[in-house]
Amino acid sequence: MAAGGQSGGDTLSVARETIARQADEIARLRRDLADERFARELRDALTVAKTVGTVAAPVSHDRLLELIVGTATQVLSARGASLFVIDEETQELVFEVALGEHAVDVGKFRVPLGHGVAGLVAVTGHPLAVSDAESDLRQAAAISEQMGYRPQSLLCVPLFYGHRIIGVLELVDKEGAPAFAPKDMELLGLFAHLAGAAIEQSRTHQDLTVLVQQVVHSLGGNSKEERHELLRGARDFARHTQQTDASYNQALEIARLVHEIVAHGGETSRAVQTILRGFADYLQSQPHPAAMATGQ
Amino acid sequence: MIERRPAFSAAFAPEALRQLAPIPPLDEITAEWAWGDSTGKGVKVAVIDSGIESSHPGLSGPPVAGYVRITEDPDGALCHDTSPHADAFGHGTACAGIIRGIAPECELYSVQVLGPRCGGKGIIFAAGLRWAIDNGMQVCNLSLGTTMKDFFGILHELADLAYFKNVMLVAAANNMPIPSFPAVYSSVISVACHDLKDPLLYYYNPEPPVEFGAPGIGLRVPWLGGGWLTVSGNSFAAPHITGIVARILAKHPALTVFQMKSILRALAANVAHPNRDTASATS
Repeated sequence: MAAGGQSGGDTLSVARETIARQADEIARLRRDLADERFARELRDALTVAKTVGTVAAPVSHDRLLELIVGTATQVLSARGASLFVIDEETQELVFEVALGEHAVDVGKFRVPLGHGVAGLVAVTGHPLAVSDAESDLRQAAAISEQMGYRPQSLLCVPLFYGHRIIGVLELVDKEGAPAFAPKDMELLGLFAHLAGAAIEQSRTHQDLTVLVQQVVHSLGGNSKEERHELLRGARDFARHTQQTDASYNQALEIARLVHEIVAHGGETSRAVQTILRGFADYLQSQPHPAAMATGQ
Repeated sequence: MIERRPAFSAAFAPEALRQLAPIPPLDEITAEWAWGDSTGKGVKVAVIDSGIESSHPGLSGPPVAGYVRITEDPDGALCHDTSPHADAFGHGTACAGIIRGIAPECELYSVQVLGPRCGGKGIIFAAGLRWAIDNGMQVCNLSLGTTMKDFFGILHELADLAYFKNVMLVAAANNMPIPSFPAVYSSVISVACHDLKDPLLYYYNPEPPVEFGAPGIGLRVPWLGGGWLTVSGNSFAAPHITGIVARILAKHPALTVFQMKSILRALAANVAHPNRDTASATS
């Protein structure tokens, strides 16, 4: 009875060990599967990021800002220029870049919205030029105040993205003239309108790039929570980049055209449908472009 | 028996119909008739801006007649503070100085919507405009605007309200290639700048939305702390028209907004006039 009980206990013990081993094996397989899925999704996200980086951001964000300020300075014959972006949360103007003979590295200083001409332009949304040899314009010019430089004239315009003010472009001292002309204000306004869109798009791309870098750098951390966060970040990133991918936009453009043609009615729609189907069939019958490129 | 009549028709019932004074034919209107000898005395002019530095020597005439400063609580509630305030940036004082230069005895009201705690938010701007309409202002100088589409509706409603209450809204147009509200509405008097200096010389533009052009380039204006600055921008063109409108209203207080626009057009320097040889609106 006692021996039989011992034998039954051994069998139960073995069975328990087997179940535990199998449970471990299942958990390991699940982890591997999760790792593989995570790696695949991350790889996909990075591939898309690389594509977008090449297509949409031929220059770095900082370089873009320098280009904008440099172009404005050159076109309008200004002795210097600076660019600020608005920090919506703190209601401040953040100095980004300055060019000109008096431009020095003053760091990323901040001024409250409404401070100086740049701050005023940021809240009114109206371009403003100031010229006054007699008055000390240092209080009016945020950057000049930081650099101890005394300008004779200023021209300041808002940077818009859509209907939102995202920053301010400020030019100081017109070469060979006591003040900026109305034509300068008009020209800089048009230029700033284009620049605003470029800056915002670049900033969005920069934010996404930083996110990917954080994901890659954090790969060493393997806790469940960290992994979950990384995966979520990668998914968000992939979703966003799909919306800005060049091929996606091309497909969207074709879709728009088709939509327009379809709006013309039955006969036109059927004709286009026939043409497109025929073209798709032809493409399917041909070797894949990648295969052709490698001579296969 | 109850007579049922649509409310809007009530004003045209025989017993309610009002007889109104005529204005002269447009080609007989002269600057002398419109604003000659007028100082804008008694006309309530709201400067909806960054405040007014009342003690600035550049502000001739009576002291600022009233103040309201609009701010937003952390919980989003709007506060109206009617105690005197200073100018946060200098911009409002500059506009007030230009207005007083043309209409030295108009009653100035400072409606501060730009400042450290006002931010420049559309909701505060709209609240400032509503305060001016509800508190008997006759002219509002708006050398600012918003491009935020969220405020298109509310500002349009306020501009219509002002129009029907005969409150003249004079708004600076924005030179940026983006619509700025309320300057693009047909019910306001929108102004951009030209580079001439005569404060009473303005032009009419037959291709709106910008209807009038007034001085706004290289103007010496009062600024913060009793100081002066030479400035350029549409912000400084609008107060010229505001000053002229105040002078006209002091002589002809019953004018409607559409009559005011017609009179302004008739006296614009680029409109041929039988009683004027040269392109000048000065008087």
